[in-house]
Amino acid sequence: MPTVTIDNVAVEVPKDATILDAARKAGIWIPTLCFHPAVPPQAMCRLCMVELDRGGWTQLVTACNYPVRRDIVVSVSSDRAVQARRGVMELLLARAPESKPLQALAGRMGVTGTPYPQVSKTQRDCVLCGLCTAVCDACLGRAAIGFAGRGKDRVVSTPFRQPAEDCIGCGACAAVCPVGTIQVRIHEKEGEIEISPFKTRVKAQLCQACGARIVSVPVLEEALGKARIDWEKFRRLVRLCPKCRRKAAAEQLAEVALAAAQAGYVSRPKAAAFLPSPRRGRGGGGEGAHATPPLTRPSATLSRKGRGNNDPKGSA
Amino acid sequence: MTVVATKRFTCVADLEEDRRRLREQRKSAARRVRVCIGTGCAAKGSRKLYELFCQAVRETDAGVEAVSCVGCHGFCQRGPIVVVEPGEIFYQRVEEPDVAEIFRETVQGGRVVERLLYQDPATGARARQAGEIPFYKAQQRIVLAHNGEIDPRSIDDSIAVGGYSALAKALATMTPEQVLQEVERSGLRGRGGGGFPTGRKWRSCREARGEPKYVISNGDEGDPGAFMDRSVMEGNPHAVLEGMILGAYAIGSSKGYIYVRNEYPLAVEHLREAIVQARRAGLLGEDILGTGFAFDVRINRGGGAFVCGESTALMASLEGRPGEPRAKYVHTVEHGLWDKPTNLNNVETWANVPAIINRGSDWFASIGTEKSKGTKVFSLVGEVTNTGLVEVPMGMTLRQIIFEIGGGVKGGRAFKAVQTGGPSGGCIPARFLDAPVDFDELTKLGSMMGSGGMIVMSEDTCMVNVARYFLNFLREESCGKCTPCREGLAQMLVILDRITHGQGQPGDIECLERVAVILEGTALCALGKTAANPVLSTLRYFRQEYDAHILQKRCPAKQCRGLFRYQIDEKACKACGVCRKHCPVQAITGQKKVPHVIDQEKCTLCGTCHEKCPFSAILKV
Amino acid sequence: MARKQKTTAAPEDLIGQIVGRYDAEVGMLIPMMQDLQAECGYLAADDLRRLAARLEVPLSRLYAIATFYASFRLSPKGHHEVTLCVGTVCYLKGSGAISEKIRKEFRVEGGGTTPDGLFSFMPVNCVGACALAPVMIVDGRYYDGVTAASALDILRKLPPEEETGERKAKA
Repeated sequence: MPTVTIDNVAVEVPKDATILDAARKAGIWIPTLCFHPAVPPQAMCRLCMVELDRGGWTQLVTACNYPVRRDIVVSVSSDRAVQARRGVMELLLARAPESKPLQALAGRMGVTGTPYPQVSKTQRDCVLCGLCTAVCDACLGRAAIGFAGRGKDRVVSTPFRQPAEDCIGCGACAAVCPVGTIQVRIHEKEGEIEISPFKTRVKAQLCQACGARIVSVPVLEEALGKARIDWEKFRRLVRLCPKCRRKAAAEQLAEVALAAAQAGYVSRPKAAAFLPSPRRGRGGGGEGAHATPPLTRPSATLSRKGRGNNDPKGSA
Repeated sequence: MTVVATKRFTCVADLEEDRRRLREQRKSAARRVRVCIGTGCAAKGSRKLYELFCQAVRETDAGVEAVSCVGCHGFCQRGPIVVVEPGEIFYQRVEEPDVAEIFRETVQGGRVVERLLYQDPATGARARQAGEIPFYKAQQRIVLAHNGEIDPRSIDDSIAVGGYSALAKALATMTPEQVLQEVERSGLRGRGGGGFPTGRKWRSCREARGEPKYVISNGDEGDPGAFMDRSVMEGNPHAVLEGMILGAYAIGSSKGYIYVRNEYPLAVEHLREAIVQARRAGLLGEDILGTGFAFDVRINRGGGAFVCGESTALMASLEGRPGEPRAKYVHTVEHGLWDKPTNLNNVETWANVPAIINRGSDWFASIGTEKSKGTKVFSLVGEVTNTGLVEVPMGMTLRQIIFEIGGGVKGGRAFKAVQTGGPSGGCIPARFLDAPVDFDELTKLGSMMGSGGMIVMSEDTCMVNVARYFLNFLREESCGKCTPCREGLAQMLVILDRITHGQGQPGDIECLERVAVILEGTALCALGKTAANPVLSTLRYFRQEYDAHILQKRCPAKQCRGLFRYQIDEKACKACGVCRKHCPVQAITGQKKVPHVIDQEKCTLCGTCHEKCPFSAILKV
Repeated sequence: MARKQKTTAAPEDLIGQIVGRYDAEVGMLIPMMQDLQAECGYLAADDLRRLAARLEVPLSRLYAIATFYASFRLSPKGHHEVTLCVGTVCYLKGSGAISEKIRKEFRVEGGGTTPDGLFSFMPVNCVGACALAPVMIVDGRYYDGVTAASALDILRKLPPEEETGERKAKA
């Protein structure tokens, strides 16, 4: 395993680990903006510059994606590296001078202001770190947003600047945005989730019992598409919010228990432990309301588990 | 008239036999007219000339064998160019009415039409053949050897002058390792700008693991002012193909791409035809020349992005993505196109390979300087008398190129600087005119060879404006991926815009230098890393111009609007009143027979009077 | 303002043809989009949607490509195509000023189309004909050594309907 000597601290890392990995292992902080463990490093922001010793000369490289293949010596705190990072941060601050998160990061780096005027227009403090597009593509597989334009006109955008057809409203982009440009907004009246500033809205799934908002409908459909489940049962359950779902599950369990008791698989007292306690005035309460014992065989799960008659272990 | 070889060569002997036959054929041809249809001459109507010559042949039925279209000779300023064989009579600036005369006098009568020959502006002497013209005399043409001689759409023409003989030699008598060693020993360095030793690149690719391996020809020639690759692709596409096949053989590749920028439609057309013909002839594709070696290429057109000349951006483009560069910590020879070992070389680099194989690495290494071997094609343009493509051995001085070959600065103006290396390069002032031109020398001077552009600038060029021009170019072409390039170039441009508009402030130059350091150290790709060179080199050699702009709000070259004045030369003024009539703010006063005067207070420096004066009596001061 | 532009989506089989021409290789996406633009004059949103669906590539990627490369147009082009070189040599000979005059007189932005649809205007960085600077190309025909006056004159004389004959959108 190669050794990285970083600011005089030697750490061993697996081959093809990055300098950033080594720094973390050594407990040395390097500022990053466009780096996120969930996606491959893009090295776009250029904030994580460190100085690499080339034996005779040095080279500034980005720590987040420089692969370590043999023993190397790196300096994070050298003048050249510090100045390089400062220079990049000053350019970023000029781009988004109002951004509090960016200022906080700058503060950690010891950069308090910028000598440059604002010359680029930015979309609500966006620093073009690309994390939102990367997450949407690599993690979600949707690529609903992407970069558009080139150079000074580069922006993060939906296709044709129209609401994104591929967006599922999961909000992952908002979760990774380091400067808070992307926000998830809830529109209660319409029952919609909006990803701002992309002008994209998706319908929210509301709990069929109490009306609470659960999740975006497309996310649900994605999940349903990816999971292999008992559809009938799941479809019933998934249209309920967590609270109501727990209630329904309990009731279903009670159903099963009663049936098992009736069929003699378990003793009545044991089954009683799964029956809901009597409640007044709550959608049907009482012992008999939901727990109508089926006159036919008990649920399939019971027999699948292969418990024979009179198996004292029971199944519930 | 495209001559298509319908025959497929199933072995080397076949090819050589055909070559002998074609040579015999051409020897016995009586007369031939070669009309250049390269982009430069075509822009001046040379295709019509070709048609007129064909018509003349048809009408007289005089037994004249051929009228051919040929590719760029490189002397575009003197186009359209027509050469008549035998005798290689070189006619320049040919126009439609001249066709009949040339046909009658030269083609049929064997006489020369004097007035269409090149005339030396100093001595008045006429040159019959290209070799007598100073522009061509000092050139040594290897890459451009057959430009202007062959019809680029005829593989037969190529074969007749030796095309694919290097390939035949390599496949028949050399192993891939031997081919590679020849290129290594030749000392050939990349001609696209990087100057990286070609043999070393090939070696790394050969040794890398992964299949398939790709070879790519970078025809994205984006440096403004450079058109060498265009001429090679248009005028001798088979040279490029042959070089690539040889490279593929040496490296162990079976697939190739030629990436041609979108703005070169003729190059794309000629390359396409060349590929079709080469395939048909068994020189490309499966079982080349019956040796079992297989290699094929396809052409991809660029989408209009200068940054795609950068190798990783080019590969992104070939993968169907925006042309954004990526880090090169892992080299593309190991992980390039589709993550496979990829060898990318410039068009001119590939075009050198057949000659190296044919004539040997020792021969190639005997040309040029110690660290820069062979010849280089430069595009000599700008304020120079003879503009065009110049191929000379490395080591020739700037003075020789610009003055002996180029004929010096146009209109007798004073030489100020020559800009080399495109937007990544710099400006070299007069005191370095005797510097030999090679990779390292130009870099020492704060510029670089780049792809070979040489833009000559006279005393009338404002160097601050030149820096501003290049910054604007790069800012438009920047992919925008990394912070320093995207933001830094915008900041530098804002400063230079202010300076060239008379709003420079003390501290501006320090700010420019500070951003330049950030760019050089932190930018992701070579475009960003070298983006500040035009600014830095002009600061280094023309600091006084910057100071004049900032401190005195004056443009010494009198180019930046608002930073110089107009004044009527009393002695030259004929009091015609034209300027007075056209002045939009009535700032000019004067009566008949009295020299007119411009009221500097009222003058808005619009320049209209200067444009309109029929006696050039209005000076810029 | 009758423009003889493609107003309906490209026929379904055109997309299929183009995709088939390149064996549905995703790496040939840019040539596919170039062919589509050559056939239809510009890249319509619906055509791109269908191309994305065919290739199973996200639409955002096609949009990124269409907005990254200068040669792509997302809106219909004019009856004529005007390219003006603003490469170094042409610029130093005044093409920058010419560009400004054209933009001002015809109210057209670089990369855009005149309001009356007469022509699309593309300033480009070097067409490789530096000896002829400044260079302007109109419908594939080169004009060398243009001045502001001669360039404006050529443009003012452009016929308002599409020329019949060989004005096929080049590259």
